Amino acid sequence: MTERDNSEGVLDPSFWRGLTQPRVTRRQALGLAGTGVASAMFLGADAGLAGAALPNAKVGTKSWWAKQKLHHQLNFANWPYYIDVLKGHHPSLDYFTKTTHIKVNYSEVIQDNPSFYQKIRPSLAAGQSTGYDIVVMTNNSVQLSYLIQLGWLTPLDRSKMTNFNKYAGPLIKNPSWDPGNKYTMAWQSGWTAVGYNAKMVKNPGTSIEILFDKRYKGKVGMFNDPIELGHAGLLAVGVEPATSTERDWAKAAKKLQLQKSDGIVAAYYDQSYIQHLKNGDIAVSMCFSGDIFQADLNSKYKNLTLLLPHEGAMLWTDNMAIPLYAQNPLDAMTAMDYFYSPLTQSVVEYYDDYICPVPSTKQQLVHPTGWNKAALAALKPEIGLPTTVTANSSTVFPTPARVAASKSYYTFKSQAEIDAWNGLFLPIIQGA
Amino acid sequence: MERSVSAHYPGGVKPPRFRGLWAKRLAPYLLSLPAGLWLALLFLVPLFLMLSETLKSCSPASGACTMTWNWGELPHTVNLYRAQFVTSLLFALFATVIDLVISFPIAYWIAFYGGRRKNFFLIMLLVPFFVSFVIRTLVWEFILSDNGFLFSFLHRSHLVPSGFHVLGTSVAVVAGLAYNYLPFTALPLYVAIERIDHRVLDAAHDLYANRRVAFTKVILPLTIPGIFAAFLLTFIPAFGDYINQEILGGTSNTMIGTVIQNSFLVNADYPAGSSLSVVLLAISLIGIFAYARVLGSRTIEEYL
Repeated sequence: MTERDNSEGVLDPSFWRGLTQPRVTRRQALGLAGTGVASAMFLGADAGLAGAALPNAKVGTKSWWAKQKLHHQLNFANWPYYIDVLKGHHPSLDYFTKTTHIKVNYSEVIQDNPSFYQKIRPSLAAGQSTGYDIVVMTNNSVQLSYLIQLGWLTPLDRSKMTNFNKYAGPLIKNPSWDPGNKYTMAWQSGWTAVGYNAKMVKNPGTSIEILFDKRYKGKVGMFNDPIELGHAGLLAVGVEPATSTERDWAKAAKKLQLQKSDGIVAAYYDQSYIQHLKNGDIAVSMCFSGDIFQADLNSKYKNLTLLLPHEGAMLWTDNMAIPLYAQNPLDAMTAMDYFYSPLTQSVVEYYDDYICPVPSTKQQLVHPTGWNKAALAALKPEIGLPTTVTANSSTVFPTPARVAASKSYYTFKSQAEIDAWNGLFLPIIQGA
Repeated sequence: MERSVSAHYPGGVKPPRFRGLWAKRLAPYLLSLPAGLWLALLFLVPLFLMLSETLKSCSPASGACTMTWNWGELPHTVNLYRAQFVTSLLFALFATVIDLVISFPIAYWIAFYGGRRKNFFLIMLLVPFFVSFVIRTLVWEFILSDNGFLFSFLHRSHLVPSGFHVLGTSVAVVAGLAYNYLPFTALPLYVAIERIDHRVLDAAHDLYANRRVAFTKVILPLTIPGIFAAFLLTFIPAFGDYINQEILGGTSNTMIGTVIQNSFLVNADYPAGSSLSVVLLAISLIGIFAYARVLGSRTIEEYL
């Protein structure tokens, strides 16, 4: 997604005025759920835009970091099924605790960007700790931009990013959504693609049209995030999402509306779609690439298959960040850089199978050189496949051609565009 | 002040004349002060706060709200979600009627034939509801799942046509609502039926009423307040419910509770959420006032 252009700093003054003044008609749309933005700023009626200092103005500087001490504890909020698991433990975190004596409280509390943002927002607005030292937010969500622009993230300690500087891959280094990695380090990337149950779907083909196929009436799962849903619609009507226009959006919305009124869609899911796909409640669904891979490795769900449609698959990146007022920022910094060691990544990736942020993990998976040797061996019976499968997977270590063929999300240029988008796609999800 | 007044009215003794006038006029108000304060603090103040919220504009980013006297918000939002209101209304209505039809015979049987074991039967009725609301609903999702044990059995034995499913349909939502709110219907009905004097029935039979006539002419009219109370107690929470729809529903049966929940917790659209909540509350209040008008306010205190 590095090829995506930045559109910041090109806004005209009247646009600014329009954005910074409260408008009565702002909520013509059905509200504002997850919406993708790279770096255009449009925060509506918020303080902080009129030149007042952001709340993190004095935080995260060299002298600020010099004063921080390790507290030997860390509260880590992440998405479900996103880290190695062995018998209720996380081997990668266990090793981290063993070597750094930092106790990690790892909680899988993030189901989607908008609702998690609503959980931490009141604390941040009140100037209090959210209770988390690391949160993981997606680059295509407007919420990550909100956190950055409202000054609610702690700027990272440049001196504590040794692994990152050494090993981070080009896909996620200096990304368009956070130039210079000032606030974030990628956790993992992935595709929003199509997953299907091979037992129920015989001739899947190669097209995203499978989601609109009448043969699977009532057995198709779609995502309840308007951004994801809208982009699936755009791909289906053959439009390049990154350069789409409002007219294209309307076309996509019409297609999705028809898909719904024809009774093809079983439901609009959050992360729970994977359970329904496993249960056979749905035959084919929009999916996150790694979920299907994980399920596929699990011998019980061998039938689940990933399909990267020839129309393209949306590429996204989840990013670790330290929220402002975090109680253990130095512990968080230590952990974030620890995950950029290829040894750590090999253990996480063996289980996880999303796109790895550290390309040299590939060698570590085949020839582990350190503590990961024992950890990988311990994980093996659980996963049931040799580590070379992960190492050679093109969805974990994608070829440059495959990355280039992936699609970038549309970059919203104003609140009005977000409203227009949501006005089209939210009624499909929330409609009666 | 309040205490001194009430202290001067021991059991209807006439108060001294010189302060009588004031005390007499103020007494009812002062006596209702605790209840009045309670009502003001816990009902009127929140209600007005919510109403004022509908006039604000909020930032989806920081959540900060500014008063913009946006009078258009409420009608706009309500208009936008008309369909979900109608869905909720219909679902809640169906569920309530189903509950009434199911629980009337149960309550009748326990009240008239329960004998010494009445309490035991009542407890039996309530035991399933000791489990948390959400967990009960999740278990239903598990049972109704297309590949769950029930439906895989039905499909295997060809008792239902292939492609038949319940989860995600309106039927599942209404059934979930009916199941979850059953005690709210059964208990008021039981109270109403239990207090019917059996001799009234004997008298009806003496006057040559057969069982059907005795039921329609005697039992039903006597239980009307109970039925109405049961109706309100079931209909109002079912109307605003979102758990059942979230867990058991599909794409085409979004209820207003889900929209309100999303407005507050996902979209951070407090004005929209408040507008919908105000309308929901207004509909509930209209129900209660209608009850009071038709059946008198005394029966409210007996059943609700």
